[in-house]
Parts: sequence; structure tokens; C-alpha cells
Amino acid sequence: MAELLEIKNLTKNFRGLKAVDNVSFQVEKGSITGIIGSNGAGKTTVFNMISGVFAPTSGNIIYNGKDITGTKACYYTEMGIARTFQIMKPLRNMTVLDNVISGALFGRKHLNKASEAREYALEVLEFTGLYEKKDLYPKDMGTPYKKRLEVARALATDPELLLLDEVMAGLNPTETDEAVELFRKINENGTTILLIEHIMRAVASLCQKVVVMHHGEKITEGTPEQVMNDPYVIEIYLGKEED
Amino acid sequence: MKGKMSIRYILVALLLLIVALVPLVIDTPYILGIFVTTFYVACCTLAWSVLGGLTGQISLGHAGFMGIGAYIAAILMNNAGISPWISMIIAFFVVGLLAAVLLSPCFVLSGAYFTLVTIAFAEAFRNLFTNWSYVGSGQGILIPMKGNSLYIMRWVSKVPYYYISLIMLVIFFLVLKKIDRSKLGYALKTIREDEDTANAVGINPFKYKFIATFISTGMIAIVGVFYANYIGYINPDILKHSQSLTYVLPAIIGGIGSVTGSLLGAVIATPLSEFLNASLSGIAGGLNLVVYAAIVILIVLFQPSGIMGWYDHSKVRKAVNSKLDAIDSRLFGRKDEG
Repeated sequence: MAELLEIKNLTKNFRGLKAVDNVSFQVEKGSITGIIGSNGAGKTTVFNMISGVFAPTSGNIIYNGKDITGTKACYYTEMGIARTFQIMKPLRNMTVLDNVISGALFGRKHLNKASEAREYALEVLEFTGLYEKKDLYPKDMGTPYKKRLEVARALATDPELLLLDEVMAGLNPTETDEAVELFRKINENGTTILLIEHIMRAVASLCQKVVVMHHGEKITEGTPEQVMNDPYVIEIYLGKEED
Repeated sequence: MKGKMSIRYILVALLLLIVALVPLVIDTPYILGIFVTTFYVACCTLAWSVLGGLTGQISLGHAGFMGIGAYIAAILMNNAGISPWISMIIAFFVVGLLAAVLLSPCFVLSGAYFTLVTIAFAEAFRNLFTNWSYVGSGQGILIPMKGNSLYIMRWVSKVPYYYISLIMLVIFFLVLKKIDRSKLGYALKTIREDEDTANAVGINPFKYKFIATFISTGMIAIVGVFYANYIGYINPDILKHSQSLTYVLPAIIGGIGSVTGSLLGAVIATPLSEFLNASLSGIAGGLNLVVYAAIVILIVLFQPSGIMGWYDHSKVRKAVNSKLDAIDSRLFGRKDEG
């Protein structure tokens, strides 16, 4: 399978702090790839570079064979990259429907009329299970729905690559299963997904490939089973067994 | 509501009709003057709210841009005999472009920092006009009265100004409503709520802030042209930032971000300040300002989202809407499409 996204020797320094150090990995077209790692491992920083929030200190991001390193954040939607935020950023004074309309209007559907975008946004809300909530304001919904709203807004831009930043954090097991189901459906519709997640159950059931990061470096990558049985990964997550 | 006929439209039309008939009943220039002031302040507030309300870029320099519009009108009239109607178009583009270009390096600033810059720009222009002899320095410009004429927008009576400002207000309101529901409106509102999100859905904040500044300052410059011809005399004081506050406060009272709120706020705030001025300033000079300020402070403290902010989330809105829908379906036999 072809690679949709290739990360090459990506490095990001914040002054003296190396947040991301020489990370390389590939995301295959049509796959679901996960990035795991403890807090502060640099996962979100990698996301921020892939979506243009930060420019990398060095390294390259190649998307669909094109070097897109350092492109400004607002041009990624057009290329087909959409993201969600770990710290949810709903448009607070706008209804759920209006939140998604924003995504639909400026996405790759090239809708110019709010009424057309509304139709499409309603479809997306239906698909993500938010239809009943369309007239609510984000603050009137619980965390699971706010997370879904993040996904719905990103999805409304009609992305080829969807970056999900801990969209399952804070969900209970039932809600997690529902979310997993949703992402599988999104993936089956042809969207490649790259996700950051802590919930291993979700990662194991969704991802074909997992990248493990620690202290800004990539430690290993492989299938979820390979990764979870890797002695170093176990050591990082659970500590070293004493002799 | 997508229907062609609705009780809402009928009510609005009725209200407009009543307002349009006011000059036939009232002929006191003072009262008419309050109406005209209310209308053009409402226009200013609506113009301001393109940038301040929809885009969330709080400008306290809009009096400056209105003032430049007024100066353009006065200079073109006195020196070239150009009709204010044409000046309106010129002012819209010149001031809009000027403000957008000047402010564009400051779009990266957020919150109070952007506000400070806008104050600085307005002050800079005020100083410029105060010291520039071509535009009459501190004394300002008098636009000579040459008799009643539509071409030069001058009348002895206040009634024509009443209708011009009313029509201007209706047009501004419709333009704002149009923007609010358009693709542009969604871009501006998304930027207001969260710039990171705006970027993430493909909205270029710089581009849309530029457009918003252009429209907002251009529109207020049109009001400036009207103002210059209505008052017949302008001086650099109209660029003062206290003037800007006069245009911003109605939006705060009515609800920043809501088009209807801005209009409602202006309709309440201007007559209120006139009333306080008339009733209190006789007792002690400046007492009216104290009371006015206290009212504004109370609103900001207890209802920061303004009247519409309260209304949008209140039960009253639901009750009113369902009542109106009920009347609709009875009158026009149509179900609400929600």
C-alpha cells in the first residue's frame, strides 16, 4: 500500500527543550495508525507539526508525495488533513450544527452557500450520532459529546487524513466502544486515521500499526501485539521488574 | 424560517411603518434629533459589530474611521463640490482599505492588545487632523448651508435626515444579517470563537480579518459622511475615543455578537443617555454620565452577554417562538420546519 504521510527525522526544540527528537514513521493510505506514549512524550507536538501549528526545527513532513513542511495551518484543510484538539476547542457561542457548518463550508466540499453546508453538516451529525443535539450549545453537552463534536467538525471538512488527538480520553468503556465503532466506520469510508490515544483497548482494536514515543523519541513501532510485548515499552509503562 | 410569509415579517413591517410615520406626528426638532442620533449611532454600532461582534476584534478606534469618512465628505463637498452620495461610496472604499491595510500588521494581536492599537490609530488621526491646516486644524470644517437640496444632502428640517438615517439603518441591518448567515459570517464567527479551530477547518484568519476590517470601517465611514452633512460642521473631536465608546456600548448592552442585539442596544442606549442628560445634568453637571456609567457597569457585571445573550438562552425565547409559530400555522396553514 502507498504511503499517505511520511514523517522524516522530525525534530522540534522549544528553546533548550527537545520536545520531539528525530522521529520518523509512515502512515499508509487507508490505515489506522496510533501514537502512544506517556504524558509529555511529544505526541501532540508531532500532531501540531503535521497540522501546521508549529513549524519543525528540522525534518520533513511528506504528504501524498509532496513536502508540506512548515505550511501555514489554514492550508491543511484544502490538502485533506483535518485534526481535533486534545483540549477541546468547540465554538462556544455557536450551536452544534453551526460548529459543524463551519467545518463543512471551508472544507474540501467547496460549498459556498450556508444552506448547502447545512444539509451536509446534518448528514455528518447523523453519521456521528449528534443529530439529536444539533440545536444545543457545546457547553450544554457532556464530554463524550463534545469529543464527538470535535470529530464531527473535522469530518465535515471531508478529510483524507484525520488526526485524532486523544478523542477517547475521559470516556467510559461503553462510550469508548461506541467511539471505536465510529472511527472504524470513518476509516471504512476511506479516511486514513492517525490517532493519539492512551486507552490501549481502543488502540489495540483499531490500529494496524502503533508508534511508541517516549521523551520525544520514537522507541519502536509495530502491530499492537508486538508493541505491547516489547520489553522496553513495558518497562516505560509499568517500570522495570526488580531482580 | 424559510417561508415567504410569516407573522415575524408582518410584525417587523408594522414596526417599520410606525417608525416611518413618527415625523408626521412629532415635529419637535429636539425629539426628532434624538431619533436621528439613535439611528446613526445604531448604524455605527452595526458597522462596528462586523469587526467587534462577529469577528471578536474589539476596536475602540472606530470613531477615528468614522471621522475620516466625515472629513472626506466635507473636503470633497467644499473643495470639489462632490455630492455626499458619491462621497459615501468613496469613503467606504478609501477608509475601508486604509484601515484594513493599517491594521493588518496588528491582526496577530489578540484581545486587549488589538484594542489598544485601534485607540492609538484613532488618536493618531485626531492629532493629524488637529494640526493639519488643509483640513481646518483644530477648528474643523464648516459645510456651508446652501439651501435645501438632495444633491448636497442639506436641509433645514430634520425630517429628511430622519428618513435617510432610518433607511441607512435598515440597509445596514439587512447587510449585517446577510453577512451573519453567509459563508463570510461563519468564517468571522469561527475566528472569534477560536482561531486555532478556524485554522484547523481551513479558514485563513488574516484574510477574513482583513475583509471584516474593510467592511466594518468602510460602513462606519459612510455614517461619517451622513454625520458631516447632518451636523454641517466637523472638528477633530469626533475622532475621540470617547466617541468610539458611544458606538461600542450599545453592542455591549444589546449583546456582542448578535446583530439584533447591537440594534436593540443602540435603540435603548442613545435615548437613555439623552434622557439622563436632560433630566440629571440640571441637578449636577456630569451626574447623567455617572448614572449612565453605573448602568453599563451593572450590565457588564451581571449580564456580560447583554440582552440578546440572555434572551438566546432563556425560556422567553422558546415561548415567544412557539407563540409566533402557532400564529403562523393558524394564519398561513404551515408547519414550522424548525
